[in-house]
Amino acid sequence: MINFNNQIASQRGKFQAFPFHLVEQSPWPLATSFTLLTMALGAVAYFQGFPFGGELLLLGFVLTASVMILWFKDIVIERTYLGDHTSQVQSGISLGFILFVLSEVMAFLSVFWAFFHSSLAPTIEIGGTWPPVGIESVDAFAIPLLNTILLLSSGAFVTWGHHALIKGDRFGAIVGTFITIILALIFTGLQAFEYMEAPFSFADSVFGTVFYASTGLHGLHVIVGTIFLTVAFIRIVQYHYTDSHHAGFESAILYWHFVDVVWIFLYIFVYVWAS
Amino acid sequence: MSADAKAQEQPVKRVLQTVGFDARFPNQNQTKHCFQSYIDYHKCINAKGEDFAPCKQFSRAYKSLCPNDWISRFDEQREAGTFPASLEP
Amino acid sequence: MNTVIVLLDAPEPWQIGFQDSATPGFEGIVALHDSILFYLVLILVSVFWILFAIINNFNSTKSGITYKYLNHGTLLELIWTITPALVLIAIAFPSFKLLYTLDEVIDPSLTIKVTGHQWYWSYEYSDMLAENGESIEFESYMVPESDLEEGQLRLLAVDSNLIVPVNTHIRFIVTSTDVIHDFAVPSLGLKIDATPGRLNQTSALIERAGIFYGQCSEICGVWHGFMPIVVEAVEVSDFFAWVDSN
Repeated sequence: MINFNNQIASQRGKFQAFPFHLVEQSPWPLATSFTLLTMALGAVAYFQGFPFGGELLLLGFVLTASVMILWFKDIVIERTYLGDHTSQVQSGISLGFILFVLSEVMAFLSVFWAFFHSSLAPTIEIGGTWPPVGIESVDAFAIPLLNTILLLSSGAFVTWGHHALIKGDRFGAIVGTFITIILALIFTGLQAFEYMEAPFSFADSVFGTVFYASTGLHGLHVIVGTIFLTVAFIRIVQYHYTDSHHAGFESAILYWHFVDVVWIFLYIFVYVWAS
Repeated sequence: MSADAKAQEQPVKRVLQTVGFDARFPNQNQTKHCFQSYIDYHKCINAKGEDFAPCKQFSRAYKSLCPNDWISRFDEQREAGTFPASLEP
Repeated sequence: MNTVIVLLDAPEPWQIGFQDSATPGFEGIVALHDSILFYLVLILVSVFWILFAIINNFNSTKSGITYKYLNHGTLLELIWTITPALVLIAIAFPSFKLLYTLDEVIDPSLTIKVTGHQWYWSYEYSDMLAENGESIEFESYMVPESDLEEGQLRLLAVDSNLIVPVNTHIRFIVTSTDVIHDFAVPSLGLKIDATPGRLNQTSALIERAGIFYGQCSEICGVWHGFMPIVVEAVEVSDFFAWVDSN
């Protein structure tokens, strides 16, 4: 009996008595901090017209993307090959991601606050009207309406992909997610086209500022969501996900729906109401 | 000098008068009261000519309420055609 | 025996009370302060009474009984929820009444435009224009310490006082040309932000002649503390004489 207990004690270091994932030391948080700093400094230098500002911004972007790829690779290894992501860890990740999305909601709330502050009681400098005197806003029922349809359909396709994955339908999961990504790319392209065609700039009164700040912040989130979905797509293709273990894909879907909902509000208030 | 002037003016009844309460602008924020009075004055003189006496009350209103800096800025914008409101009657 | 009453229209060292009121508005503010202070003292005394009574009477040396299972008491909880609510209502209604009364400009006889700058105030009187359409306007700078004359208040005296008539409803239109300042004169019960691009309205009915001191009350840069306000209330006839001399 005593001998048996001793055997357990000698093997104890090879087992873990709890379901949590104690992460190992990683260079990526610090590296990401520095690459983001480079990108922010580059952006400021670029906007202020300093020499090589654009190059610094590009360098920061490439470095950030590289570190992201390496960090993602580590997490995929921990999850897929080391089995660190137990069901407890998965629920922690999902909860954390929900909280992150909530913080994003608050960020958009502040941008909408700026919009309503400027538009509900327009100042005399812009003629007391919204859109301001002399501003020709974009036609809400042209490209923005198409974009709304694109984004809503992409939401439907990602739901197809999700349910297909749960059902074990590999073809549906791949095709549904792929079409979602294609629609997202078309959305971003149309948004870029609309920016180039718009008859006002970021500097054209508070209207231009709040228009590009709100749709631009949303556009950035669309790009991030597209990257998120693309990573999930590659992992579906690579057989990383099972029908019950795909917290990364579910987080991407939640993020995509969030981006979708923000667009609905943007479309109603910034596009339809303002034109 | 000022004592003389005072003695002379004693019989003259002087009235302190300024623009009164306007129910369209009941708030602490009077920015639009100033702006609207400026617009109303210029609409008025564009319709009736500069000598039309009733227009004077709009000019008294905006001159009493708008900082002189603002008035000269509005005047410049009006001359440059960039004033952000229509002044057509 | 002659009693000379000197009213306090400027802050003095180590002062903790109010300056003396010169307007009905400030009298209302002082009255509201006093009535709120009544509730404050009442609450402070009763809460500390209960607190010290509990500490004194129910400690382990005086009483061996531990009320381990005393988790809630509905009646007590109702009392200590409803009573503060009633107190808050009793404070809120006089406060709203005063707030909306102070907002009321009603029927002013004189409008004075007050503009904050970094770091001085400027004033414009445009109700009575000269023949050439010019209005009275001037800037008001603090008198630097080195130039102070006998009797002038350090950091409070200015080179040109804001001259206003007594017993007249005055409307102040307050704005700024750069950052947010705040036009505040305690004796007149005035404290209103000077915001660039916005015209804020407030009013005062000054009931006695005097020189009233105030200071910028919104931090506005390095010399925020060196842009005082001096309001000089004079008889109406003297006010007209001053207007004519300008």
